Amino acid sequence: MMRNYEKRNAVLIKLTLWALTILVFLPFLWLLKEAGPNYLVSIKYLSLDQNGIVMVWLKNSAFFTLAALFISVLSSITAGFVLAILKVPLRRFMLFVTLITMLIPITAMAMPLYVLIDKIHLNDNIWGLIIASSYYPFGTFLSYLYFVSALAGDLVGMGRIDGLGDWGLYWHLGIPLSKALWSIVIFFSFLSLWNSYQLPKVLLNDPAHSTLPMGLELLYGNSTAIVGVLMMLPIILLYLLSQRSIERGIFSGAVKG
Amino acid sequence: MVMLAPYAALMLFCGFIPLLVSIREVANPSWINLEGSYTTLFRILKDFRVVPDLKHALFLLAVFVPFTMVAVLAVSLLLDSTPVRGNTLMRLIFILPGIASGGISIMVWMFFLGRHITWDGGNVQWLIAGIAFSSGAGSWIVIQYGSLRSIPHEVIEAARVDGCNRLQLALQIKIPMIARYIGYMAILLTAGAIQIYAEPALLTGWGLTSNWWSLNQVAYSYAFQTADFAGGTALSLDMLLPSVIIGIIFVVRTDFLKRDSYQ
Repeated sequence: MMRNYEKRNAVLIKLTLWALTILVFLPFLWLLKEAGPNYLVSIKYLSLDQNGIVMVWLKNSAFFTLAALFISVLSSITAGFVLAILKVPLRRFMLFVTLITMLIPITAMAMPLYVLIDKIHLNDNIWGLIIASSYYPFGTFLSYLYFVSALAGDLVGMGRIDGLGDWGLYWHLGIPLSKALWSIVIFFSFLSLWNSYQLPKVLLNDPAHSTLPMGLELLYGNSTAIVGVLMMLPIILLYLLSQRSIERGIFSGAVKG
Repeated sequence: MVMLAPYAALMLFCGFIPLLVSIREVANPSWINLEGSYTTLFRILKDFRVVPDLKHALFLLAVFVPFTMVAVLAVSLLLDSTPVRGNTLMRLIFILPGIASGGISIMVWMFFLGRHITWDGGNVQWLIAGIAFSSGAGSWIVIQYGSLRSIPHEVIEAARVDGCNRLQLALQIKIPMIARYIGYMAILLTAGAIQIYAEPALLTGWGLTSNWWSLNQVAYSYAFQTADFAGGTALSLDMLLPSVIIGIIFVVRTDFLKRDSYQ
């Protein structure tokens, strides 16, 4: 009796989830249809449209995203590890500033950032945008939560007994046991950088320096749908690559139970 | 300390210093406070656009935040409760509206729903809440599903042996165990609702909202359209206040910043 009840519930859950999935996917089917049946021809046409400016935006977006991704992921995960595991001065202060700066509206930060970037002569320069976008408090907090809750205290203690220093702990314990975390931080950092709109709008002026999300507002009609599809492809690819780690559990550590 | 240096440098240059500059900037002369002082923080609230925008923010806090939290947790718990073929595909599809850029999301919503509903000043807040929900929910489902997957299998098995059904498991075991991540989501969603910018700004291009629908748009217009950075910053800092209060309550009332002493 109980078994039948459980089975019926499982079927209901599956049906609910599939119904939701279809509901969410329907608008995207429309988007795919709108982008045109022959994507390659459309993309080729788009690459020539307006003297190939879309391809320039694509290159700018790719370079900006990859460079800022490298800096933001490395710095934020390492910081999350240090703040969770090691003894550092001003630890609580740094965590608090991380939290506050994550919450402050970009409008309040954009102008001081603009002034600071201008002072180092990187205004309207992709490197200025890279520096301003490489601070990733969201990733630091996610990493902090992971390491503080999933990296077992006994393991760190044993590492210390084996003579591991701070770097050793990170290299031999932190990194190998946080592959899932790396996947998820890379994914979300990529997502936020690739779709970044407000900060590039403040820091970049020349349309030739624009990124794709900025350029998108200059395009209309069919082109918007094609560029939209084009913009989603790398994110979908990265998501599928990171799936195995996500499935295992973002926050699962070395010792369970 | 060397390990922390790159992050500390970035935090200093892109976070802490801009924050201090912003706080100092508030005291500079503004169109609404020509002598300049910290009273700008209060004077800015008398702007005729603040009250209607505050109502919009309260609407989002009352509708968008709780609905997103409940929906994200419900879907994450359902995904975690039963092995479903296509689980990966489902999460990919849930995240699709979030990975599309703001412009694409608006276009999809407008063309897909716009033909059947007439959007105007009276109901456009539901459209904005819908777009914000569809853009953000998928990412949170990925994070909360991940946190649920990390609950030790033994704990779930022990609860099942004790006679817990799926609902009891969810309410009494799983949700308390991921409470920290739920709190984290609550803080960020609250900040997101108060500071909403992209959705109403993009809808302005469709003629559906004014260019001051949200508080953040007003702050942006002060800072970048009337060159009154003191006014824009004052409003931004006012917007920050509720999120910081919720953040402090959360930090004080949970073990968010605590850790074991095993260094």
